[in-house]
Amino acid sequence: MGFGSRFCHVRGAKFLDAQRLTKTYRVGSETVYALRDVNFVALQGDFVVINGPSGSGKTTFLNLMSVIDRPTSGEVFIESQPTSTQSEGQLAYLRKTKIGLVFQSFNLIPVLSAAENVEYPLLLQRRPKPERQERVAALLAEVGLSDLARRRPNELSGGQRQRVAIARALVSGPMIVLADEPTANLDSKTGEAVMDLMRRLNEEHCVTFIVVTHDPAVSRYAGRRVRIHDGRLEEGEGNGVAASAS
Amino acid sequence: MGWRLPLRSLWRNRRRTLLSLAVIALGTAVSLFVLGFLENSRFQIQESTVQEYGNLQVASPKLWKNETDGYDYLVSPRDVARLASLLEMEPGFRGSTSELQFPGLLGTGRETQVIRAIGIEPENPVLDFAEHAVAGRGLQLSDTASAFVGRTLAERLSLSVGSVIMVTLTTVNGAYNASPFTVVGIYKYSNEQFEQQVVFVPLAFAQRLLNTDGVDRIVISLDRIEASNPVASRLAAALQTDGTHLAPRTWDDLSPFYRQLASYFNALFAFLSLAISILVFFIILQVQTLAFLERTREIGTIRALGTTQREVFGLFFSESAWLAVLGSSMGVALGALLVAAFNAVGIQWLPPGTIEKFTLGARIEVKTALVPFAVSLVATLLSALYPAAQASRLRVVEALRIE
Ligand SMILES: Nc1ncnc2c1ncn2[C@@H]1O[C@H](COP(=O)(O)OP(=O)(O)OP(=O)(O)O)[C@@H](O)[C@H]1O
Ligand SMILES: [Mg+2]
Repeated sequence: MGFGSRFCHVRGAKFLDAQRLTKTYRVGSETVYALRDVNFVALQGDFVVINGPSGSGKTTFLNLMSVIDRPTSGEVFIESQPTSTQSEGQLAYLRKTKIGLVFQSFNLIPVLSAAENVEYPLLLQRRPKPERQERVAALLAEVGLSDLARRRPNELSGGQRQRVAIARALVSGPMIVLADEPTANLDSKTGEAVMDLMRRLNEEHCVTFIVVTHDPAVSRYAGRRVRIHDGRLEEGEGNGVAASAS
Repeated sequence: MGWRLPLRSLWRNRRRTLLSLAVIALGTAVSLFVLGFLENSRFQIQESTVQEYGNLQVASPKLWKNETDGYDYLVSPRDVARLASLLEMEPGFRGSTSELQFPGLLGTGRETQVIRAIGIEPENPVLDFAEHAVAGRGLQLSDTASAFVGRTLAERLSLSVGSVIMVTLTTVNGAYNASPFTVVGIYKYSNEQFEQQVVFVPLAFAQRLLNTDGVDRIVISLDRIEASNPVASRLAAALQTDGTHLAPRTWDDLSPFYRQLASYFNALFAFLSLAISILVFFIILQVQTLAFLERTREIGTIRALGTTQREVFGLFFSESAWLAVLGSSMGVALGALLVAAFNAVGIQWLPPGTIEKFTLGARIEVKTALVPFAVSLVATLLSALYPAAQASRLRVVEALRIE
């Protein structure tokens, strides 16, 4: 297939490195610690599942990893480059070229068809039309939605929408895909299918996945398991499939 | 980013978009209609002004500046000839005629009235009131002591064709003179004041009475109104270089009424445009703010996917640009329809101070249609600036948290 696989030779390379991340919010006169002094490294090809109770800081953590938010202190390195000194424009460039995002409620653009939603990140990068068409077709085939390419999001089921979102996250050949509760709005069977898909893409294209979930059932997909509790991060055991590949 | 997303986004809330389009279109249409109406009135007044004054008049600068002393402003036959030779060279020149105006007292034996007598060349092709005759006829080349009087004056003094009147005046040397005139015709004219004051007499006879061979002005007719100003400036330059003490005035300079009216119309239209723009501005501002607010999470999403703030601004601004272009275009079409319908109905109106009913109409050209179009376009685009800027400034994380 035409995407992702070119990175396979760097499996195990340090793509993302978070050092001493702290994120606080001021709520009235109080300071809420959403994250405290968190260190985290994602290697190329990892499949990380992040667990933790509600309000423990999972979303906050993911937001910092996807550079849509900045930490109160600490630093996120992407490919060894510090991000705190980068401009909004530079971070936007990182997001559109190297980071894929999957949301809990799919967040597709309602006025665009499935194919157009998948095409959107390529439009942002001003890729030529033939290339866009080719990649969109490849990704839709990959997630098994070639037949539904012209449907609008409201004409798709939840599972189908999330598969479109996954195709969108992968279309520009990112190094890493970050997913916040991708199965929370799906029934358990559809959720499993979505997780299967992500796991397969991870293995075939060695794109790093970091998946946040409440769902214990999802945890069994973990190559590496991480727990966040009260803003602190604890490394757990995964079933070692991807992490051990180095 | 292409046109697809903005245009489709516009269509996602069809009813709201149609409402916005209706507001813009209606504003544009009303503005266009009023402009067309004012333009038509202005045009009609322009036509009648040119009919009354000619395209240009040439006279001594003293006359134009009101710095006359007796009859020291009269134009000599030599200067008239000089001017005629200059006019021969103008491509748009249609004809010219000389006039000699003088104040006088008109007496009927029972009543006396102050008049403004105008000595004209009978049957001249430029300024001839013969076509306005309601009784009798206009002046003819063979006429001498003949008078062509206005309807209001005739009614007031009970004059009819054949009546003999006495006109008393001062000659250029300051002596009194008087002569009987025979009324050969009665004219009507749109201006009541004019009808009451102006009495036409043959130029040659007027010159004899005033004891002069001069005239006070030369009235010039051109083939196009637009030629008035260029011809005037060429004439002014030519007259200056050969030392002829004459100056041209264009028809709009000559008619203070037209000038006032034109600027009044402009002010009226500017005020209306402003009022409509403000209305359109605030309505569209409100609607677009709401529309963008509803899409907060979507904005968060596209930002998270790597869309820059500038691109978000561009997306939302081009959405409003579509609205602006569509709405204003529809408005021009609607306005044109209104104008056509109005002209078809043909409402009659009697303006104050006039005697003739005239048919109300509206008149639009591409040039005039551009103004309301541009005004609505700009008002809508301006109203989009703030919401689009707000949309682009949303904080990504916060925007994503909105349900
Ligand atoms: N914008 C904010 N202002 C104030 N406090 C915030 C804000 N965002 C998050 N928090 C707080 O930070 C903590 C971590 O929130 P976060 O959303 O990361 O939790 P989470 O683990 O994703 O929870 P859930 O499983 O319910 O999604 C919570 O205590 C939350 O109340
Ligand atoms: Mg969360």
